[in-house]
Amino acid sequence: MKTLNLMFMLGFPLAVTAQNPIIHNQFAADPTARVFNNRVYVYPSHDIVPPEGARQDWFCMGDYHVFSSENLTDWVDHGVFLDQKDVQWGNPTGFSMWAPDCVEKNGTYYFYFPNGSRIGRGFAIGVATAKSPEGPFTCEPEPIKGISGIDPCVLMDNDGQSYIYWSGMGIRGAKLKSNMKEVDGELQTMTMPQRPGGNAPEGAAPRTFTVAGQNMEGLPDGFKEGPFVFRRGDWYYLTFPWVRGDTSNGANPTETLAYAMSKNPLGPWDFKGIIMAEHANHCWTNHHSIIEYKGQWYLFYHHNDFSPRDDKRRSPCIDKISFRPDGTIVEVKPTMRGVGVSPATSRIDVDRYSEASKDVTTDYVDTLNYFRGFYASLPSKTSWLRYGDVDFSGLSADDYLSVSVKASANTELLLHEGGPKGKIIARVPITVVSQMGNFRRDMSGRWLTLTAPLQYIPKGVADLCVTGDSLSIDWVQFKNRRDYFTPITSPTARPDDEGFIRRWMLLEPIDNPEANSNLLFSWTYLQDNLLNPSKLPKPLPAMPRDGQKVKYGKQSLIWHAMESNSYNVRLFRFADLLQKATYRVCFWAVTAIDCPEDIPNVRLAAGSNGASMWWIEPAEGRTAENDNPVLTLESDRRMVADDGMSPRLTLKKGRNIIRCAVVNGPGLSDFCVRFVDEKGNPVTNFEIKN
Amino acid sequence: MKNLRTIILFAFHCTLFTATAQVGAPYIHDPSTIVECDGKYFTFGTGGGGLISDDGWTWRSGGVRPGGGAAPDAMKIGNRYLVIYGATGGGLFGNHNGRILTMWNNTLDPESPNFKYTEAIEVASSDGMEDCDAIDPSLLLDPTTGRLWATYGTYWGSIRLIELDPKTGERVKGNVEQDVAIDCEATDLIYRDGWYYLLGTHGTCCDGVNSTYNIIVGRSKSVTGPYYDNVGRDMLKGGGRMVINAGDRVTGPGHFGRTVIDEGVEIMSCHYEADFDMSGRSVLGIRPLLWKNGWPYAGDRFHDGTYEIESERRGYSLELGVNFVRIEQQRQGGFRRVDPNEPVKPIPDQQLADVVSTWPTGEIAVRCSDYMFRPHQHWTISAVPEAGGFLGGPYCKITIAGTDRALAATENLELTTVPQFNGSDEQLWRIEQLIDGTYRIMPKRIPGQKAINTKYVIYSAGDSTPTLAEYDFNSDNSKWNLKRR
Repeated sequence: MKTLNLMFMLGFPLAVTAQNPIIHNQFAADPTARVFNNRVYVYPSHDIVPPEGARQDWFCMGDYHVFSSENLTDWVDHGVFLDQKDVQWGNPTGFSMWAPDCVEKNGTYYFYFPNGSRIGRGFAIGVATAKSPEGPFTCEPEPIKGISGIDPCVLMDNDGQSYIYWSGMGIRGAKLKSNMKEVDGELQTMTMPQRPGGNAPEGAAPRTFTVAGQNMEGLPDGFKEGPFVFRRGDWYYLTFPWVRGDTSNGANPTETLAYAMSKNPLGPWDFKGIIMAEHANHCWTNHHSIIEYKGQWYLFYHHNDFSPRDDKRRSPCIDKISFRPDGTIVEVKPTMRGVGVSPATSRIDVDRYSEASKDVTTDYVDTLNYFRGFYASLPSKTSWLRYGDVDFSGLSADDYLSVSVKASANTELLLHEGGPKGKIIARVPITVVSQMGNFRRDMSGRWLTLTAPLQYIPKGVADLCVTGDSLSIDWVQFKNRRDYFTPITSPTARPDDEGFIRRWMLLEPIDNPEANSNLLFSWTYLQDNLLNPSKLPKPLPAMPRDGQKVKYGKQSLIWHAMESNSYNVRLFRFADLLQKATYRVCFWAVTAIDCPEDIPNVRLAAGSNGASMWWIEPAEGRTAENDNPVLTLESDRRMVADDGMSPRLTLKKGRNIIRCAVVNGPGLSDFCVRFVDEKGNPVTNFEIKN
Repeated sequence: MKNLRTIILFAFHCTLFTATAQVGAPYIHDPSTIVECDGKYFTFGTGGGGLISDDGWTWRSGGVRPGGGAAPDAMKIGNRYLVIYGATGGGLFGNHNGRILTMWNNTLDPESPNFKYTEAIEVASSDGMEDCDAIDPSLLLDPTTGRLWATYGTYWGSIRLIELDPKTGERVKGNVEQDVAIDCEATDLIYRDGWYYLLGTHGTCCDGVNSTYNIIVGRSKSVTGPYYDNVGRDMLKGGGRMVINAGDRVTGPGHFGRTVIDEGVEIMSCHYEADFDMSGRSVLGIRPLLWKNGWPYAGDRFHDGTYEIESERRGYSLELGVNFVRIEQQRQGGFRRVDPNEPVKPIPDQQLADVVSTWPTGEIAVRCSDYMFRPHQHWTISAVPEAGGFLGGPYCKITIAGTDRALAATENLELTTVPQFNGSDEQLWRIEQLIDGTYRIMPKRIPGQKAINTKYVIYSAGDSTPTLAEYDFNSDNSKWNLKRR
């Protein structure tokens, strides 16, 4: 509930639950995750498509959003908290707000971010502070002295000392002063020879810099950036994107995530190897963070899922990460499924599956808008995909499945528990071509939202498996059916505040196949069908019992005691729940009311979809003498409260039986009824007993 | 000679023509709110396509709206046009999983080089099991807040309200759909004078002349409801007050749309399920939209006929400026001297033939005076088909009943009558019913002015003195009652 409240408060809920990538409505790169107040906050940089005037083929990031989640599944976007225009020392149109970090100390949140300087070309690292992880953040007027570089990362060590790491002329680290805004220690002057082939004239003097901190020793050769340092037990881990490939032959190898370990926060470091290999699609960068949350370690990283043709617009992903007993890291294979449990009632993008048969492929739903995500295609009878960790709790047998699919011919989709041979949860016939009289409908190749009842509901958290032949699937979602009726637990009920009578004995629908139009239900029709003894259910007891059976032609029908959750009694849903015919049917309903005294001068006020007849009978039941209905709503009716009124009548002291029959063709059958006095006010001084 | 030919032609047509439904080929079901674009009028219907009119009176097919589905709506937002429509659903093939989509276009004119719809995006849907069928959407841009709302749904479940982003046409993030009504479909939401009105179509469609479609309304002080009818019944309980139903040889009005033409001049668009004069086809209907005690209702279709034109100012009647001709009558004296035994007998009305010879033959001025049901006070108003029309009506001529003497505008913004109607623009009149039930009457063109006149109306300068002056809804001088005689 906390998440829900927060989402409403902020108004930025993300409709989808997170598979990889976790953010679906914008780009977000370099995800730095931190745990504050038992909640995970992600501070990414914010890739955008470069606006006119900005360099089109380069990174473009002009502000920072922060996202948070308490289950790694539902992410809240807290919006922009720092814009490049708000950084006094930065270039207000530089779009160089690269990978940041954020830490908390004594109730203050310190946000570290690189940015292009207002003057000159280099990067500096600024600090902004806030009293809440979501901001608002106030930016320091000057960047941190002695750091020229990018990708800040701050380690808060157990002894209270803080360290900052960054990338710039290799990966460097330094102690932070306790104010968290300055580097501790002397600044050194460094000289660097002019870069061969650079802009400087041949023979120019070496460049000089004022530099803080020290180089992190022990790291392998090759391009490195994006340091992320964390402590686990006695070990410090320096993790970093690293190009391991050979560049000497003109190749352009891309970044891995690599790591080194040390017993000291500033090294020297012992290089250990790879955390994640190069992205398979040649997305050049990767950039990451690692946190422990609720007893599990997670790797946050990025990939250009929603920008397949431009690897400078990236999206954040999460996978679990684990350690061997000696502290080394088990290499992480990126997954589409990501982490977290997907509630069955959320929209689950099963195209981001955990595992699938080899012939399953995925593609973009919309190549003009990649944010619309992916779909998976299952080409053959033996195709399957498995989506891990779906929480089925909260589903009941009345609930149903909704699924977005397309196919080129009529086929069927099955949902199983666990794997392709697992128990069948639901079976979805996919009819893309159908014929109704002269009308032919061809929905081949179009996305359809279909629903199906549930055959079986797994317990708790389970894997979901989709099988099907020659079809594509975008998402599945289990839906709770609205509760239209409540089980009857008390012996009596009262009319509701507006006088509507909600408790009834309802007879299962009588088939009435010729009722194709509600215009059929003329007065004569109703007389012939509802007053003709030969056409009534047998027996038609004065007050049926719950479960009592009656005959109607070849139909054997059962009376059900039902209490409607709304003022109107939804006959259509009653029939639907029992999986009986819902259209072209006739319903009978009976209830008994006990009046403490004669209630004179009232009217029965009813509305029905479609036509209906209403009787008020003494307790002994219907006889030829009292066969006349007190109200008939004929012809093409809709359920309108107080549509028709009986003549003024007296409800007798003691038991009165109210009976109605509703006939309908194509509509959603229902009725509502109450008693009203001369002024139209509801009559409520009676009890309903049945 | 040209004039003569025209006159003959007109005379011939006038005998056949009744000014009822729109002319041309106005065949449509569920017309979207009429939108003006580049000087033309557009409305889109169920199934795709739509109607176009150059003048708002003669309609032809030719509108282009891809996506099919049911009951679209369209509106201009900024410089662009937003079209919303439902796809699938609607119970076709037993299917109630509908989708509501929006798309933009820079123009609605398919002949324009700028005509290109953006890709449609889904803003709402129904899964086929829930109590909603997401079809029949409509749009309201709230003039008080600038927020964009859409309602959708049909009998199958409830009518739902959602909020869209007026900049993108997308669903506002986090917006949760809300039920606002049941028992109707093809809804429309409008705002007027502090009230939001939800108009729904009740009854059964698509059964030709037997269709029982009709339009009902509820209102609320808040766009999110609850919408109550005139007896305080919530539209979620099926409430609704009738706005228009069958009559006048058309049945099944459905799918309301409101267009404000001028202050106090409003029309409603709809379709009639069946026009008895057009083979029972479903056609576009445009009716005056009237308001009484804060409730909208449709004005009647205007019919050719003979009318008294009564000023709202004093109640005087527009008449020819001719001598009053007394009717001879045997004097009955004071009531005490009447012989109660003498039988009464009717006195015939004064006839045109009794007086016409006393009238001058050239131009005759007009004035206003007490209505005495005399020939010089009876005007025949009849549509002139060749003269085209305006949004919702044809141009008419106004002649003294039984003659061809026609009311005409003069260059100096006065009125006169000419002995013979000749079809010229100053003798053609645009007659529109105002929201209070009165009418404004304006000449098509003022002699000597280039543009079609949309400003000057017949106006009571004094109780007895009609003239032409600028329309002002807030002055009874601009208003006239047309009483059928």
